[in-house]
Amino acid sequence: MGPRELALLTACILALSVFTSCSPYFFTGGNFATIARNSVELMVIGLGMTLVLAIGGIDISLGAAMGVSAFFVGRSIELGFSPILIVMVGPLAGSVMGGVSAFTIIAGRIPPIIATLGLFGIYRALIFFLLGGRWLSGLEDVLGTVVKTSIFGVPLLSLQILALFLAGYVILRRTPLGVAILAIGGNEHSAHLAGIRIVRTKVFVYVTGGFLAGIAATYYVAQYRNVEMTVGGTVALDAIVAAVLGGATVLGGRVSLLGTALGVILVRMLQNGLLLIGVPSLWQQTIIGGLLISVLVIDAVTPQLKGRKPKAWQEA
Amino acid sequence: MARGLGPSVWIQRFPQLFGLIGLWILLLFYFAVWVPHFYGFGTLGNILQFSTILALVTLGQCLVILAGGAGIDLSVGGIVSLAGTVMAFVAQTAVGTVPAIVICLLFGALLGSINGILVVRFKILPLIATLGTFFVFYGLAQAITGGAPQAGFEKWFAFLGRQRIGHLPIHFLGMVLPAFAMAYLVLTGAPLGRWIYAMGCNELAARLTGIHVSRVRFGLYVLSGMLSATAALVANAWLMSARPDIGYNLELESLTAALLGGVSIFGGKGNVIGVLAAVLFIVTLKTGLQLAGVNSVWQMGLVGLMLILSVFIEQFQRT
Repeated sequence: MGPRELALLTACILALSVFTSCSPYFFTGGNFATIARNSVELMVIGLGMTLVLAIGGIDISLGAAMGVSAFFVGRSIELGFSPILIVMVGPLAGSVMGGVSAFTIIAGRIPPIIATLGLFGIYRALIFFLLGGRWLSGLEDVLGTVVKTSIFGVPLLSLQILALFLAGYVILRRTPLGVAILAIGGNEHSAHLAGIRIVRTKVFVYVTGGFLAGIAATYYVAQYRNVEMTVGGTVALDAIVAAVLGGATVLGGRVSLLGTALGVILVRMLQNGLLLIGVPSLWQQTIIGGLLISVLVIDAVTPQLKGRKPKAWQEA
Repeated sequence: MARGLGPSVWIQRFPQLFGLIGLWILLLFYFAVWVPHFYGFGTLGNILQFSTILALVTLGQCLVILAGGAGIDLSVGGIVSLAGTVMAFVAQTAVGTVPAIVICLLFGALLGSINGILVVRFKILPLIATLGTFFVFYGLAQAITGGAPQAGFEKWFAFLGRQRIGHLPIHFLGMVLPAFAMAYLVLTGAPLGRWIYAMGCNELAARLTGIHVSRVRFGLYVLSGMLSATAALVANAWLMSARPDIGYNLELESLTAALLGGVSIFGGKGNVIGVLAAVLFIVTLKTGLQLAGVNSVWQMGLVGLMLILSVFIEQFQRT
């Protein structure tokens, strides 16, 4: 655990104690369950976003991709597919959309922010087209076991997310693939000269991002058993905030999975706590944005991070 | 520079511009045939009426992108919303509408300067810095109004948004055309324009030539903020109220318009004439779809598709 994670943990504890002293409803089991439930999709998408940021990319479309995947999951429940198939549908749809992101970015040589912003608009229209203006609601509880089972009092869902993060950690820190990802994020040209296969690694990262968005969609449908137009609305932006809070940089090459997880908890806890102490929910966006900017500025003025990776436009 | 150039040379020089105009004419034909009530000068006026907001915002966006350094301004929609609502609050107090207009523009410049400081002073990557400020600006506009439109402008103010000369809206003639003409002249003739292109092409070289890269870039973010505030002004005068959600999706649309108009996302290449043509193209498309009764979500999808395609085409012209 580095200084960044410690600082974030301190911030979490600080927020926890402030909210506890200000609201009698905050420090209760029921409320913690609510925070945990609200964090599920953000955790999974945050993991995907962290991998994408690690390679020096960004994927704004992950939230909309989650929405599209959620439709396919919901529809396959409506059509009465077998549970095994239903569980596979979401990640499959997500992976395809991750592949589309990778294709647009790599084959079209379009900057990730532009490509995925465009895809974001397209997927939003796609959700509308698929749903045809209605909701999928009152879906059968086929996926209940995924989210409601507990093993010795520990929810299975949290174990699944833990497993996903562990897998991410192993890939990022213990395999050649992880070295390749961080190397490309650090300096794509050098990575290329060092013999790293750029295209293959990028495709892996973007497809994994989409795959995780599909998993998030499956969790969403399993929990709420309906699919509406707005599923996954701003979750991609929240994920960027959480990852950057956790120590990732949009320049690539530096990320922290533990940091991202703590960032997700801090973001969701703030949103929940502020609501409970009486701040109108309309302020949430401002507060999250302010948090993002403060962290960016703190990063910028902290000496050990300064000049870490001069880009062409920062030189001289 | 342009002396003695035949039309073929112009087409060679601005292939994207002429492609756009061709597409635009096709689009007009298509809508004229298929959409009832589309054809007519009234529609042209309506298209221009809708164009002003996007045109002003896109002009700022395009200058920020042209100056390179991974320049991009995702906060434009937030500035339009926040400057507009702040203007309404000022107008609701006793000071009246005229000071409110001044404050609106200054406030836009202030918001733009926040972007400028984050990018220039703290060297934060523009895409993440302006994403953060977008959250703050747009969120603040929602929070201080509670999401409700704010009225309270003096009656005469409506002329700015609704008055037409012939069929052409006064704000298009009086704001958009002069702004683009000025930008065109500065970019092609003035030293500042040379500096912007030089920065966009090779920042290090520009710096070594003695161009104050940071100052110019800061100024462009301020200008982008001010242009967004001007767009807010027009929107307020048109609707006679400030809608906190007026800036929704403007970052996507202005980016699309700028890139479709031939501005290179890597900076240093592009001109404002193409951008104005792209704005008219996008607004025509949106207006036609609206008249045809197509849901606005489709427009978002189409704009997203155009965004990707425009960069795609540019990249293939490059090779």
